[in-house]
Amino acid sequence: MAREDGRARRRGQGELEGQVLGALREADGPVTAAWVQQRLGGDLAYTTVVTILTRLLAKDVVSRERHGRSFVWTPTADVARLAALRMRRLLDGERDREAVLASFVTALPPGDEQVLRALLDIPGPDAGGTEG
Amino acid sequence: MGVFVFLPLVLPLSAWPVARLAETRLHPRTATRLLTAVAVVMAVCSTLCLALLMVVGTAQLPGNPLPDGWSDPEVRAAVPHDEVAGRAAIPALAVVTAACARTLWRHRRVTRRARRALAGVPAPTVAVLPDDTPYAYALPGGRGRGRIVVTTALVAGLTSAERRALFAHERAHLTARHHRHLLAAHLAARANPFLRPLRTAVVYTAERWADEEAARAVGDRRTVARAIGKAALLAPRTPVPTVAALAATGPVPRRVAALLAPAPAARTWPSAFTSVGLAAWGAAAGALVSAMSSANSAVTLFLVLQAATPL
Repeated sequence: MAREDGRARRRGQGELEGQVLGALREADGPVTAAWVQQRLGGDLAYTTVVTILTRLLAKDVVSRERHGRSFVWTPTADVARLAALRMRRLLDGERDREAVLASFVTALPPGDEQVLRALLDIPGPDAGGTEG
Repeated sequence: MGVFVFLPLVLPLSAWPVARLAETRLHPRTATRLLTAVAVVMAVCSTLCLALLMVVGTAQLPGNPLPDGWSDPEVRAAVPHDEVAGRAAIPALAVVTAACARTLWRHRRVTRRARRALAGVPAPTVAVLPDDTPYAYALPGGRGRGRIVVTTALVAGLTSAERRALFAHERAHLTARHHRHLLAAHLAARANPFLRPLRTAVVYTAERWADEEAARAVGDRRTVARAIGKAALLAPRTPVPTVAALAATGPVPRRVAALLAPAPAARTWPSAFTSVGLAAWGAAAGALVSAMSSANSAVTLFLVLQAATPL
């Protein structure tokens, strides 16, 4: 993680979440927050690591269980799943995201569905039922 | 400068015919470039003239910080209906500035948030995310670091040839830097509402451009058409039909139909003797007149104000 040190202060929330989850996935079994902190190179405060782990718990990508006086953490999803969750949150939240993200297809109005099926000879779910 | 200062505000209307015709009659690459260029020139000229009117309008306000001489009758004579036009230009320019700033700000925020969402995903270019919603996006990034984001739901719904078409389409967006065209067209539409048809047209022709690139990369137009069609059928339906949807078929069936038709000729500039050529030349002439009018107005006002400023 040496190359990350230069821009440690500029790392955003999302990047930290990804790193913490990545570290958890490299562990052999359930590990403590202190282990994660050490694994990440020690430039993060212990409380920050715990905060991020709690946030990941709320997103349902890690689980924890009590072990003595502290918790041990286990990843339940991979980094791609976390990215998918974050991407979904972005897409659901931004109304005019179309200006940035050119979508492969736009949502299809009902009338277009029949036109499209006819163009491509794809039978519809109600094929034969109605006369379009 | 007389009436010339108002011309760039309404000349975007001259681009409406080409916005309609270019979608179907021009090669999508030519159409995207032409429409973006016309939109940008017209938006800049329209905003410049709005700023000139704003200066004349502000000079009439009591207690304004501009030199006293700027509200002289000679200056006001340069603008027809200066009372109304000058004062109306002040809020208009404020609205335009705010709308453009908002668009730019949102653009940066979405890009940043999307990039942050993907932080930690190891794949260099294509990130396949486990998600039940089928979507695919090309996420622009500086210095050739753009990424393609697709979900497992979309990938699972396509055959391998169709997947290649999907990735070729998204890669074309990144290579040709379509997001720049889209941003320019969106900003232009904010600067002058008459440019909105051009924005709609650029959004469509940029997709068609990527479709054509994908068809060339895959070597089969029908595969690309099927990939688009299947992806659209996988995506969730719009709950309420929009006005545009009631008027005509939407962009997706038109893209599919265009791909099922023969490849468009890659002429760089249409002949003036066809309807689309006439419309394209009309738009170009509109942009030129727009530029000349705003330049004329700017120089005139500069000279008038210079003469009116006591030294």
